Amino acid sequence: MATETRTQYQEQLDQLEASALGGLDLVSEALVRTLEAIQHQDVELAQLVIADDDRIDGRYLEVHQSLITLLATQSPVATDLRLISSLLHVLKSIERMGDQCVNICKVIPLTGNEPPADEEMVGLILSMGKQTRTLISQSKRAFGDRNVEMARDLVRQDDVVDDLNRECFRLALEIGDDADCREWAMTMLLAARAIERIADNAVDIGEQVAFVVTGLFREFEDASHPEQ
Amino acid sequence: MDSRNPTESPIVTEQNPEPQADPRADLGHTRPMVSVAGEPAAKPAKRGREIGNIELQGLSAYYGSNRAVRNVSLGFDSAKVTAIIGPSGCGKSTMVRCINRMHEEIAGARSEGKVLLDGLDLYDPRIDIVAVRRSVGMVFQKPNPFPTMSVIDNVTAGLRLTGASRGELDDRAREALVGAGLWDEVKDRLKAPGAGLSGGQQQRLCIARALAVDPEVLLMDEPCSALDPVATLKIEELIGELKERVTIVIVTHNMQQAARVADTTVFMLNGELVEVGPTDEIFTNPNDDRTEQYVTGKFG
Repeated sequence: MATETRTQYQEQLDQLEASALGGLDLVSEALVRTLEAIQHQDVELAQLVIADDDRIDGRYLEVHQSLITLLATQSPVATDLRLISSLLHVLKSIERMGDQCVNICKVIPLTGNEPPADEEMVGLILSMGKQTRTLISQSKRAFGDRNVEMARDLVRQDDVVDDLNRECFRLALEIGDDADCREWAMTMLLAARAIERIADNAVDIGEQVAFVVTGLFREFEDASHPEQ
Repeated sequence: MDSRNPTESPIVTEQNPEPQADPRADLGHTRPMVSVAGEPAAKPAKRGREIGNIELQGLSAYYGSNRAVRNVSLGFDSAKVTAIIGPSGCGKSTMVRCINRMHEEIAGARSEGKVLLDGLDLYDPRIDIVAVRRSVGMVFQKPNPFPTMSVIDNVTAGLRLTGASRGELDDRAREALVGAGLWDEVKDRLKAPGAGLSGGQQQRLCIARALAVDPEVLLMDEPCSALDPVATLKIEELIGELKERVTIVIVTHNMQQAARVADTTVFMLNGELVEVGPTDEIFTNPNDDRTEQYVTGKFG
């Protein structure tokens, strides 16, 4: 009796998931360029990242619309409904990640042509970026594999980013009295903060993995009640 | 069947109902009594109105040697809507027809196990089968008003058997039609043939007919499958209102309908009970893989 039905709908849903998660590859690419722009003070590359964010936004709009259409026409329930709900969240996270890259790239020109860059601080930010890319690809894999363990591990990975961010803050405090140096350090703190937020978004995607699998939504870590 | 000492059997009765402002409460005066034959119905009076609680215990139903319902144990909560879903031939209609003993009317059909209404075994040999069907009303897939009867006669058809006076019949008919959300549409054509109403109106007429005898339980076997979307929505709204006064069991193929109207959803497959749960859980996070497969439309 168990005849296969709704294969076309299933294919559509699979395709939309792949398309949404593919947005994470776009973000990862944008982040690589953003880091390169920071490292080399490359204003043109930064402009490219800003322009290219339209691709991420376009992906958001396109997949979002298709998911709404599926909701309207197919009345999905159970796992399908949870998947669509979580994909809508994931899309929003991806769109935010792209915007954070844009935020960083917008401040790069403010530091001037030859800024008084502190090697150690640049190194910390590049490490943060590298670690964040690990989180992005791990969140994608965890979602695709519906792997809750891997998703939970994102919290541990995110702690590394948070520690590096605090280290950046400490370095900025100790940067010295030179006004240009301080301005540069402040700008870099904004960049570090933006990268830290991208990593948080990857953790949010991990929480959606848990929702798809278990049907329960729980924040992995509650920022307002960190002791719990 | 269980042959307990009749004095131990709880009796559904309605003695000395409290006078109340609600006109529907008056229905209690002529409330059908399911009682064990020969046993005086003078049991301790119950206050207010009863809303039936149905419990199936190890229920199996057969058509000849074919076992269509397999050992189902399940409770239907009082004053709640329970939807039964499952693919065609899974036994859901058969199970529901066992509740008011309609199943046994088919040649070669029989059942095993117990159906309890407020603790009283409806298959007790001493039970009055007419009283069972008065306490457990039924609405079918296709509206089936008595074709030669007027609107009002359709509603009072069951009541007339109780020997009620003309005035009482009219009052009860009006209450039933109001209850079925049909009064405003038919109040000027009560003497017109019931078959002249639209499909949706006919179905609400059948609901009014079922309500007129003041049942405790209302069984609905795909009540909207022959209706258009607007008539369907009217019936669904009606179900929401009726559950305050009657326990509703609805068989439906329309998954969204189950999701909209039911408090509890039951999934059946091949005559067996697969899963019972709060409707929102069945449709967002079912426990059983087979339920998941069915509600998401992966088979059926």
